[in-house]
Amino acid sequence: MLLRARTATAMAFRDQERRPLVLILLVIIPAYVITRSIAETLPTPRQIGLPGGVVVTTTMRDLHGAGMGGLVVAFVVALVGVFVMQSALEGDRRLVLAGYRPGETVIARLLVLSAAMALVVAVAAIVTALNFTAASWLPMIVGLALIGMIYGAIGALAGAVLDKLAATYLILFLVMTDLGVVQSPMFHTTPGSLAVLLPGYAPSRLMYEGAFSASFHAGGELALSFAWLAVLSIGVFFLLRRAVRVSG
Amino acid sequence: MLSVALPTSTAFIREHLRAPLTLVLLVAIPVFFVLIFASVLGEFAEALGGTLASQSATAISAGWAAAFLSGTLAFFQVSSSRAADRRLAAAGLGPVRVAVSRIVAALAIGITVSAVAFLTLWLRSGIGHPFHAAVAIFTFAAIYIGIGALIGAFVKGQLEGSLLVVLVFSVDAFSGPQMTSNGLVSVTPTRNAANLLIAAGGGQGSPGGDWIGSAAVALGALAVALAAFWFSARTRT
Repeated sequence: MLLRARTATAMAFRDQERRPLVLILLVIIPAYVITRSIAETLPTPRQIGLPGGVVVTTTMRDLHGAGMGGLVVAFVVALVGVFVMQSALEGDRRLVLAGYRPGETVIARLLVLSAAMALVVAVAAIVTALNFTAASWLPMIVGLALIGMIYGAIGALAGAVLDKLAATYLILFLVMTDLGVVQSPMFHTTPGSLAVLLPGYAPSRLMYEGAFSASFHAGGELALSFAWLAVLSIGVFFLLRRAVRVSG
Repeated sequence: MLSVALPTSTAFIREHLRAPLTLVLLVAIPVFFVLIFASVLGEFAEALGGTLASQSATAISAGWAAAFLSGTLAFFQVSSSRAADRRLAAAGLGPVRVAVSRIVAALAIGITVSAVAFLTLWLRSGIGHPFHAAVAIFTFAAIYIGIGALIGAFVKGQLEGSLLVVLVFSVDAFSGPQMTSNGLVSVTPTRNAANLLIAAGGGQGSPGGDWIGSAAVALGALAVALAAFWFSARTRT
């Protein structure tokens, strides 16, 4: 079983290697968007509320840099999720017919998605670090990674159940609503009362906590992020396993 | 030509809208962009160092919604339908008629998206120059039909293609007039259309140069789209 899973994973990565443009765009898009966001924004003072009731004064420039990191990670990783799963649905049923277990093919695809997420988060963190010094890098990077994983899973779910055009539109709609407007401290001192219902609430609060506070008060948000991630990951695993399973 | 192209165009439109959620999102996203995103866009533009007034910011959000939706749709039209279009062309329809049908379908959906964005904008904040705004929003859609189709003609992978549409859109949106104090990228596809839309949103007319510029870019983009649809449908020997 392990050998087959390893082979499926190696083939899934080889499939990605054949498309160098994907890798280039996974680097260029976050690098461009974050750099431009920071470069274009004025350092206008702005007061924001962080987890634990902490209020800090920062600037729109720093908020934009940190916030765009989360937004671009979510959007790009979710799109990767959509298309990795579309590829899985096209090709993996044949692997299952040839004797693979559905879980083995699903793990291979999830590893590709995780690698893409790690790359995009690394680029976002490095580019942010070139322009902005976070108060505490660890929670900020963990927040970015959780945003990537949660939205990657949402993209995978969308890719598994929707047509690719509908899935792409849905991702745009969700990311812009959630991280672009509802959770963004550029527009609200703290997110509104219903913001907690959206998947980006907990990881983005964690990310902003890391960006602007040297002390850590976001234990609840961290736990909520893991809860979202666990539920979505289980959903992706079982949905995909069912989708690639051959009936009869 | 049109009598043959129209039924095929209708079939192409049905092909894209057979998923009910796609249709819902084609209507919901422009409404969302204008109603929700626009309410914060004025503040956002001010933070970027631009001088975009709130009403103009609301107007520009309608153009961006029409642009992104039309660009993505045109990309997937070329990318998903390449094999089927070649068969259609080889079966007697010919690559030119396939291309015309594709562009009529893309334009019909682009007009629908633009109309939804325009109506939402009009109902939300009123428009000083409604005709100017309607033309400008549709120009955004037409330009991105060209961009999406061009990317679709040369990039086969759907992930890289949709990421490229996102990259072009990001460069364009970030470099729009009055959104930025930085002239780093001063020649962007929707610059003239954005000038028209910003002026119309603020109740101002526009100079002839912006009309000529946006018409030239839109017509050029549609010509590129037609060529891209033809290129994808033609039979390889």
